[in-house]
Amino acid sequence: MFKEIKTTEKAQKATESFKKKMMRQTILSFGVCVHCGMCTESCHYYLATHDPKMSPAYKADRVRKLYKKYFDWTGRLLPKWVGGGDLHSDGDLQELMDIVYGSCTMCRRCSFNCPMGVDKALLIRTGRAILTEQGIAPQGIIDVSKDQWEVGNQMGVTDEDYLETIAWLNEELQAELDDPNASIPMDKMNCNIVYAVNPREIKYAPMSLLAAAKIFHVAKESWTMASKGWDNTNFGLFSGDNKLGAFMGNLVYDSVERLNGKMLVTSECGHGYRATAWESPNWTGRDLNFPIYNLLEIMTGYVKSGRIKLDKSLNQYKVTYHDPCNLGRSGGITEEPRFLLQRSVSDFREMYPNRADNFCCTGGGGAMSMSEYSKRRLETAIVKANQLKETGAEIVATACHNCVDGLTDLIKHYKLKMKVSLVGELVANALVYDKMYIAPEHKIEPLAQHQVLVIDDDPDVILFLTTLLEDNGYRTLSAESNETALKVLEDNKPDLITLDLIMPGKSGLTFYHTLRTNDKLKDIPVVIVSGVNPENPGQYDTRSFIYQHSLPRPEGYIEKPVNRELLLMTIEKIINLKVSKR
Amino acid sequence: MIEVLQHQIQYIALAVMGITYISKIIWILKFKPMKERTPAKGSHSKAIIASFLCIAMPWTMESTTKKWYKWLEFAIFHIGIAIAITASFLIPEARNLMTPKVILIFKLFIAASFLILLIRSYRRIFIPVNRIISHPDDYFSLLLMLVWFFAAFFAMDLNEKSIFFASYFVLTALLIIYVPFSKMSHYILWPFSRYYFGKHFGHRGTYPKIS
Repeated sequence: MFKEIKTTEKAQKATESFKKKMMRQTILSFGVCVHCGMCTESCHYYLATHDPKMSPAYKADRVRKLYKKYFDWTGRLLPKWVGGGDLHSDGDLQELMDIVYGSCTMCRRCSFNCPMGVDKALLIRTGRAILTEQGIAPQGIIDVSKDQWEVGNQMGVTDEDYLETIAWLNEELQAELDDPNASIPMDKMNCNIVYAVNPREIKYAPMSLLAAAKIFHVAKESWTMASKGWDNTNFGLFSGDNKLGAFMGNLVYDSVERLNGKMLVTSECGHGYRATAWESPNWTGRDLNFPIYNLLEIMTGYVKSGRIKLDKSLNQYKVTYHDPCNLGRSGGITEEPRFLLQRSVSDFREMYPNRADNFCCTGGGGAMSMSEYSKRRLETAIVKANQLKETGAEIVATACHNCVDGLTDLIKHYKLKMKVSLVGELVANALVYDKMYIAPEHKIEPLAQHQVLVIDDDPDVILFLTTLLEDNGYRTLSAESNETALKVLEDNKPDLITLDLIMPGKSGLTFYHTLRTNDKLKDIPVVIVSGVNPENPGQYDTRSFIYQHSLPRPEGYIEKPVNRELLLMTIEKIINLKVSKR
Repeated sequence: MIEVLQHQIQYIALAVMGITYISKIIWILKFKPMKERTPAKGSHSKAIIASFLCIAMPWTMESTTKKWYKWLEFAIFHIGIAIAITASFLIPEARNLMTPKVILIFKLFIAASFLILLIRSYRRIFIPVNRIISHPDDYFSLLLMLVWFFAAFFAMDLNEKSIFFASYFVLTALLIIYVPFSKMSHYILWPFSRYYFGKHFGHRGTYPKIS
């Protein structure tokens, strides 16, 4: 007797959706694989684990089984003969999610190593697409996609916060260049460049936007940012949702047309560049009347034409370059960053393998938003860690914010003595311009009415932070434990909290959860100021924690040892934003 | 009987193969291709040519550079197939070309291909990473080719009374008919997939690779 297998509605819908997604390139990549296994050792998941289930062909086969069953000539009659199969249960869908999201970053390294020309990333993305349509994806992907749909950017930055941050960065730029004419233009019409950024630059990494603004200013570029449609990132690329892809693409393209810009330039974001420059025109079906470039290409043009001059002695570091997959393999940008680094750092050294053969940072394909798979991601990052270690570099430069996060995580995890920097930041630091840059003393603003609560179990850190803040005009409170902090908060409502994660008793993350879920305290901005637990580097994974609990992100994140300038800039920005909202 | 196998059966098999090949190509072309709406950054034609030629340039891919012996196996094996198929037409149609020297060369390639298939069978059965991606069609195709090469090797002696001679022609016909329905249909799909691979990455300026 055959046991009747009931197919759930979701599984059935996923299968139906699969049938509608077949294009010529897709059926070829599904059909031509001969299971030779040549792709196996091109995948960092396999190389790190030697688990046969991590081989690219196996992973692709989990999606391919649907092709074999519904499209392959033999498979339609004898599916099992050719590896055909169905999706029956929600469990099958979860299993598929684990494969297509949890064990592949869609880096395309295997595609470049396949003698048959199978683009496995295309197949994996097809798998992701049919799941996304059924609402199945890692929580982080769902949250970020929702922010893109609802707010128009991946970090849910409100218009007000965005404009205030730019205004604040404007002041920083003028102070840094000691030039009152320096500015980050907003909604300026008829400019040469409309510059779109990654929301991470607004929320956590303003230095990269500041670096780009500095370069544009020195190059005397006519440029602007847009008040709407400024996010170049696109989670539609990761989730396989072409509708989201088109929505985000349209937002950015509309802003260029509205401002009558001559070209669109994306900041250093690998997937953002790929999505905006290559995929979104296809998803939106628009024939654009302006070209799209990446900041790397623009900076290279400036150097070649003499619009900016660089002095490599200003960056006395051993620097290597990590090719982001979406720029290298999928975007055609490999030589520009090398050209720039060779001219802006004293010691540039290659990483091997490189360019189209480089290994993924392990954070690609949206992996940094999938806390469910952080453990596996870091385990497989050993391949990248070894590659980095062999360079002997002090700084790994890259041109992608996602890679910055992925590399920073693995550097912490494997305790490498290395920092990550964006290429633009190194270029900005090597800029030679008329006024010799002298680091400005941080201005003491009249911030005495603002109070900061410093929570840290180390009295020396408390002393350092409170002194630094008080020297810069803040009033401070302090607490050496989370329990004490809660007592302090019963009687006080500080304007900002700096929070250490590694605390005895309740961890800082648990305390963060308490703060964010308490109606009275949830509006107090929090800047995480924390180090890494040397015995368990992945123990306090803030990203995983906030995705798992669907919490709002902290307003700032500063790593120990604390960079004084960055801490003061971050706190000043957050408090200024808070003041302007009142 | 041998006459029928050498002529009628061969041509029927060829006709079936021709019809199925054409049908397969029509089927492929029925699917809409994804198109790029952006101006190309690289050269389509250069990339497409490079994409096809990668088969003859193992140094252009890390996989074939590191596993050079697998590339060598691939090259010898496919030459062996071409030889064994060619022989099935030369024997009945132009036997005068089957000189002792030609037969010796043919036998060498056929024997080498047989050995390569044994190695491939070992890998597929005993190496977990290969076994996990193998389906009945993968095993059956290997088995069919093994038996075919075995028969072909002895059939090169041109002894029409030998069981291997008849088996060789039966198996050739069977193989020709089975190919479009098996993984061996990559013969038909490969030119298309390499074409689109080259076109896609050439469009974006990432192929041919810069190293």
